[in-house]
Amino acid sequence: MNKTLYVSITLVSLVMGLMMALQFRTAGRVDSGVPYDRVQLLTTELKQLEKEYANLLIEASDLEEKVAKAEKGRPEASQAVFDELVKVRQLAGMTKLEGPGVEVNLAPIRREPEQGDNLFTVRDEDLLRVVNELRASGAEALAINGQRIISTSEIRLAGSFIDINLTRISPPYSVLAIGSADQLESGLLIKGGLVDTMRDWGVSVTVTKKPSLVIPAYNHRIHLEYAKPLKEAQ
Amino acid sequence: MWIGVLLALLGLALGALVGLNVPLVLPQAYAQYLGLGVLAALDSVFGGIRAAMENHYDNHIFITGFFSNILLAAGLAYIGTKLGVPLSTAAVVAFGVRLFQNLAIIRRHLLKK
Repeated sequence: MNKTLYVSITLVSLVMGLMMALQFRTAGRVDSGVPYDRVQLLTTELKQLEKEYANLLIEASDLEEKVAKAEKGRPEASQAVFDELVKVRQLAGMTKLEGPGVEVNLAPIRREPEQGDNLFTVRDEDLLRVVNELRASGAEALAINGQRIISTSEIRLAGSFIDINLTRISPPYSVLAIGSADQLESGLLIKGGLVDTMRDWGVSVTVTKKPSLVIPAYNHRIHLEYAKPLKEAQ
Repeated sequence: MWIGVLLALLGLALGALVGLNVPLVLPQAYAQYLGLGVLAALDSVFGGIRAAMENHYDNHIFITGFFSNILLAAGLAYIGTKLGVPLSTAAVVAFGVRLFQNLAIIRRHLLKK
């Protein structure tokens, strides 16, 4: 009897002390802690932020996907730039080119001079005319005696020789042109055309169609000192 | 008699020690219910002391009253909150009045000695 009394008293006081201590701590926390309304406010704010966070996560994954796509697209873009560069180099004459075309050989006719013969040699203007005619017939690349004709190339008489790209060339002259061989040939050989005229002047002209010929690259320095691209023209 | 007081003090100290040192803290929303529980427990304890002084102390009544008062006070306050009726106020008033009555009676018994 006494024993249960003591046990129960001990138990009751134990529970009592425990509860009071807990309540003391909780109440102490109330004073220093946040009020109940504030908790609710913060809870709603937290919920809102969580929603926002989820939205931002979605956005982030979306953007990452885009970045990945762009990364995938980059090799293609650089390939396009590279292709463009190759094309531009071809147009500028910086590469060796190969293709069908014609070879035009010009040489002064070697024969005994007769009375009343025109003593013409091949002049720079003859070469210019040939080049002009070939271009008009759709020649895509031109070279004379291994000198590539580009946009800044000159063909002119210097003393008794002809200079192309500031390089002296000597007869016999061989003009190579890549393009439609038939068109190029017919453009030159047309009746009353350039070849007829030059033959009359005493120049031996032979035009041979070639299924494949190689035109060398322009091998001098190109330096544009004065010409600058316009910004607004780009 | 003195062993009982000693045991009570010992238990109180032990409980306070444990309560102050446990890492868990009650959520603030439940603090008021625990507070009511403490009030009910105090009321039961003083009721028990008064009964002991009037020499009709019953251990079973004391023990059952102690725990059922705690649980009822906290539970009724909780239900009151859920129903929108401030039953906690009623509990505070009821237990408070009884507490002070018991204290007054204990004081008189002590003075009569």
